[in-house]
Amino acid sequence: MYVKAHRPTDLNRNTEWFTYPGVWTTYILILFFSWLIVLSVLNCSSGLAWTIVHLSHFLVTYHFFHWKKGTPFADDQGIYNRLTWWEQIDSGKQLTRNRKFLTVVPVVLYLIASHTTDYQHPMLFFNTLAVFVLVVAKFPHMHKVRIFGINADQ
Amino acid sequence: MITIPYLTALTTYFSYGLLFAFGQLRDFFRKIFDWCRASNLQGYAPICLGLEDFYIRRLYLRIQDCFGRPIASAPDAWFDVVERYSNDNNKTLKRTTKKSRCLNLGSYNYLGFAASDEYCTPRAIESLKRFSPSTCSARVDGGTTTLHTELEECVANFVQKPAAIVFGMGYVTNSAILPVLMGKGGLIISDSLNHNSIVNGARGSGATIRVFQHNTPSHLEKVLREQIADGQPRTHRPWKKIIVVVEGIYSMEGELCKLPEIVAICKKYKAYVYLDEAHSIGAVGKSGRGVCELLGVDTADVDIMMGTFTKSFGSCGGYIAGSKELIQYLKYTCPAHLYATSISPPAAQQIISSIKVILGEDGTSRGAQKLARIRENSNFFRSELQKMGFEVLGDNDSPVMPIMLYNPAKIPAFSRECLKQNVAVVTVAFPATPLLLARARICISASHTKEDLVKALEVISRVGDLVGIKYFPAEPNKQQQEKGMIKVD
Repeated sequence: MYVKAHRPTDLNRNTEWFTYPGVWTTYILILFFSWLIVLSVLNCSSGLAWTIVHLSHFLVTYHFFHWKKGTPFADDQGIYNRLTWWEQIDSGKQLTRNRKFLTVVPVVLYLIASHTTDYQHPMLFFNTLAVFVLVVAKFPHMHKVRIFGINADQ
Repeated sequence: MITIPYLTALTTYFSYGLLFAFGQLRDFFRKIFDWCRASNLQGYAPICLGLEDFYIRRLYLRIQDCFGRPIASAPDAWFDVVERYSNDNNKTLKRTTKKSRCLNLGSYNYLGFAASDEYCTPRAIESLKRFSPSTCSARVDGGTTTLHTELEECVANFVQKPAAIVFGMGYVTNSAILPVLMGKGGLIISDSLNHNSIVNGARGSGATIRVFQHNTPSHLEKVLREQIADGQPRTHRPWKKIIVVVEGIYSMEGELCKLPEIVAICKKYKAYVYLDEAHSIGAVGKSGRGVCELLGVDTADVDIMMGTFTKSFGSCGGYIAGSKELIQYLKYTCPAHLYATSISPPAAQQIISSIKVILGEDGTSRGAQKLARIRENSNFFRSELQKMGFEVLGDNDSPVMPIMLYNPAKIPAFSRECLKQNVAVVTVAFPATPLLLARARICISASHTKEDLVKALEVISRVGDLVGIKYFPAEPNKQQQEKGMIKVD
C-alpha cells in the first residue's frame, strides 16, 4: 500500500523529516520492539519491562529533544544553535499535530507502565517524575525558557 | 507528489534511526578516548561545535566511495573513472592508476558539448591562443574583451531579452545578484526546493524570505496575499519590493516549473519574477530556448532570467538577462562584475560557438538534431524505466530523471553495483534531498546513442532487481519477460 509524500515548506533539515508519513508508526513500533527486547533479554515481569522502556525513553528523548541544541549540519551556519530540537520543529509553532502526538506518547507510556506494575512504590515514583519532567518541558510556555540557566549558552 | 510504499517508509526511518544510534555510540566512545588523551590545544575553541559535523563523520564517510569519484577524461557519453581503494573503511580513499571505461549517466552534458566538438573546439583553441586562458582582471578594469561583448549580445539574442550580463561562475551569479536586487524591507518568496545558490543569495541580501510549497501556484498565491496584507515584520509598512524566485527544471526532481500560472499570479499581485534556468536553457524547447519556449510564456513577462553555461553549453559561467535598465544597473553595482575576474576567453568562445550550433547559424542542422535527440532519448529512457517498475520522477521532455531509492543502504548498493558493471550513476541522499527520499539521478545527453541507452537499461534493471527498488509492479511486456525478469521480494 502506498502513501503520498507531500513536500513540506520547512527549511530546517534537522526537523523536516518529522513531517513525512510513517514517522508516528515507526516511533510506536520502535517502543514496542524495545519492550519485547527488554523482556527477552532480562527475563523480568512485563511491568518491569515497561518501566525500563519508559525510563530509557525518558532519558533518550530528554537528551535529544530538550538538551542537545543546534543541527548536525554545518551549512546551517549556526542559526539554530540556541534552539533545542523541540523548539525547532514546525518552525517554532506551538500546539501542532506533531507536538500534540509527542506530548501524548510519554503520558500513554506512563499509564501502561504504572498499570502493569500495579502502581507499586519505587517504580511509580520514578515513572511519575519522568513523565512530569517530559510533559512540562513540552508546554508552550516553556518555549526557549531555561530554568536556573541550565543548558543556557555562555 | 511521490508515492512511497508504507513499509518502505517505516524501514527507511528505522534504518536511519539505527545509523544515528550507532553514530552516537561511536561518538560517545570517541569522547571517552579523547578525554584520556591530552590535547595540545588548551584554551582554543573547537572548530566544530557539538554535533555540527555528525552527519559527515558518521553517515557520509561510511559511503564516501560513492561520491566524488575522480574522472580521467572529458565527461562525454563514455568516460574513464579512476579506481580508488581504502584501508580504513572509507575514512580515507587512495587513488590507483587503474581506470575503467564507464557509461556516463551523471554529467550535465545535455547537448553533448562536453567532449570535443567539430565546430566549437577549434574556435576555442584559437581564442585560447589569441586571448590567453584568463583575462587576469575584473570586467571594469581590463577584463572586457571583444569576446565578452559579443557573448553578452549573443546570450541576450538567444534568450530573447533586450540585454544580458555574463559572470565567470554560475553559483556566484545567484549569490551575488540577489543581494544587489533586494535589501532590507524587500520580500523574497522562493520555491521550497530552490538551489543552494539562491538560498545563500537570499540570506545574504537581508530581505525577508518566505517559502512556498514546491510548484504549487495556489500556495504561492496564499503566501503572497498573507505577506502583502501583513507588510514588513514588526513595522507592518508595505514591502519595498517583492520577488518570486523559481527554477526552470528542478535538478533533484526533474520537474518543470508551472510557469504560466506563477507568472499570472505575479502579474496580479505585482511581484517580480526571477527564473533560474540553469538546467533548462539549451535543453528543452523547440529551438533550445528553455522553459519559456516550452511552456509558451512570453519572455517579456519574466523580469529576470538567469541561467548557467555549465549544463547545455559545455562551458562555465552564468548570465542574467533582462531589460536594458536592469542590466545597466547591475553593471554599476554587482560585486561579481566589479571585483571578480571576468569569464575566461576560451570559455566565452565555447559558449558563443555552441549557441551558434544550437541556433543553426554554423550552417548545419546539428543543433536541431541534438535537440531532437535529447528529447527522444529522455522520453524513451523514462518510459522504459517506468515500464520496468521503477519509480521515476520528472515530467516528459525533461532530461533529468531521478530513480527513487529511499533506504539508506540501497544508495551505496546501487552505486557500487552499477559501477562494477561499468555504468556510472550519481546518487543523492540526505541532506541534499529530504530524509526519506534518497534517489539516483540520471542525466540523459544528446550524445548517448540508442545502444548506450539500451545497455544502461539492462544494467539498471539487473541492479534494480538485486537491490530491490522496483516499487511499482512491472508492466507485462512480452520482450522483457523473455529476458527473464524475476521480481525479487
